[in-house]
Amino acid sequence: MNRSPSRPSLAGSPLGQAPDATIPLRFMMLGVVSLLGTVALLVAHPDVLSSYHYNQRVVAITHLFILGFGLSVVSGAMYQLVPVALETRLHSERLARWHFPLHHISVAGMVWMFWTWNMKEVGHFGTGLALGVGLFVWNLVQTLRRVRGWTVVSFGIASTLFWLVAAILAGLAVAAAKSTYELVGRMDIPALLALPLAGLKATADFLAQFEPLGVMHAHAHLGVLGVFVLLTIGVGYKLVPMFLLSDIQNSRRAWASLWILNLGLAATFLAVLLQSRLKPAAALVTIAGLALYGVEMVAIVRARKRQSIDWGLRGFLTSQALLAPVALLGLWLARPGLVLDESVGRLENAYGFLALFGVVAFAILGMLYKILPFLVWFVAYSQEVGRAKTPALHEMYSTPLQAGGLGLWVAGLGTGLVAIFLASPPLSRTAALILAASLACFIVNAARILSHLVRPQTRPFRTPTQAAPSPS
Amino acid sequence: MSAPFILLDARGLEPPEPMVKILEALVTLPMGTELRAHTDRRPMHLYPFLEKRGFNAETTDIPAEGFVTVIRRST
Repeated sequence: MNRSPSRPSLAGSPLGQAPDATIPLRFMMLGVVSLLGTVALLVAHPDVLSSYHYNQRVVAITHLFILGFGLSVVSGAMYQLVPVALETRLHSERLARWHFPLHHISVAGMVWMFWTWNMKEVGHFGTGLALGVGLFVWNLVQTLRRVRGWTVVSFGIASTLFWLVAAILAGLAVAAAKSTYELVGRMDIPALLALPLAGLKATADFLAQFEPLGVMHAHAHLGVLGVFVLLTIGVGYKLVPMFLLSDIQNSRRAWASLWILNLGLAATFLAVLLQSRLKPAAALVTIAGLALYGVEMVAIVRARKRQSIDWGLRGFLTSQALLAPVALLGLWLARPGLVLDESVGRLENAYGFLALFGVVAFAILGMLYKILPFLVWFVAYSQEVGRAKTPALHEMYSTPLQAGGLGLWVAGLGTGLVAIFLASPPLSRTAALILAASLACFIVNAARILSHLVRPQTRPFRTPTQAAPSPS
Repeated sequence: MSAPFILLDARGLEPPEPMVKILEALVTLPMGTELRAHTDRRPMHLYPFLEKRGFNAETTDIPAEGFVTVIRRST
């Protein structure tokens, strides 16, 4: 039997040093508040789903969703999961604590300024966001450096961090391109201000040679595909086998999926930015990476030792299945010579809506049902284990409410797509209300989970030997 | 001669159930006896609790079978 001793002693061991659980919890809770804000804005302004997406309201709501909800939850989850997944400890909890206010104050300011279309202030708040992301990336890069050898999971995480930096820099460049520079060239401004202003104006002049819609779409693909899709794939390769008691079935296939996706994303970014005729080729490379991921994920699920799949994981797997229609829609929209008319505009809206609310939000909500109970359980009960009976994770929330909420999310997605194709604001509002009802189910369950922090529900053991295993 | 041991099979359980089973088993572990816990994953969250409760642990990776963590009282 091939044995590899790996843990000689616990003394001084860096193991099990996941950060203080309240850090990821804070990110996740404010993330959910942002999703609530997103859905509330959709209810109040249903026209954003039925009108073309290049307007200030859509841009504001999209950034509230992506940065306020998606990136916040993902940051919290990564602070918790990366050390555990890679069997090391987080480089710095202090940096994570500083990241929290920087991120949320900046996102709130950005969304507000997008809504009023004050791009200079978007750039200022965006700089705050970039500082927070810088702390986050530095923290995780230092954490990754502790890991000996690359795994498919650490490569997926590293790729995500790279594209996150790229997406943030691209976003700042877009904000610079949409600002005005009255002060540049004036002699009465201090040199400390003159130099960055000249740099920003040079950036704006450089981006002026590209078509603005192409620049925005290229930035969006960096953010959604580069950060969220790559992350769900990289982390999915760890979490899905972990929860289903399975393993990666073909390591080469898993590695290839990530390499090809990285290549496809770089090609897609350039092709979209340059409005190139090679867009379909770039899309096909991306789809090849996604297809390999899909084949590997099916193999992982088929090889599972645990037969039942809970609703949280079903939500996550459904979100991953939705990558297929999103990818095919993206390929259709990548056709050269496609004229942007009303029907193409609706398809573009459907593409974005399905990617954001179908793939990203559904994946996050599904995984939150796995991560949130575990984090709360850990804070509330881990010290009590062995001393009193602690609740199981599934006892901390209502499973029917969970299933109902995830079902409502699917119904909201379907209604939203129909509303987009019909360009119907009333139907858009209905879709937003269904999504809001789904979110309400989640929030009620999240409140039930969080209530364990305030009112722990331990029970005494019936007998002192209740948990004793059989002697050998 | 190896120490007497108690075998605990915590495979097939989702986190944190393996940790719960192991920590509960340690409450009744006789003096001088080891607990050998068989898990599907390396028990990452377990180690700090073992240290706090006065136990040492050594985990061995057994490919295709999971992990065996031998836990004994610190001397």
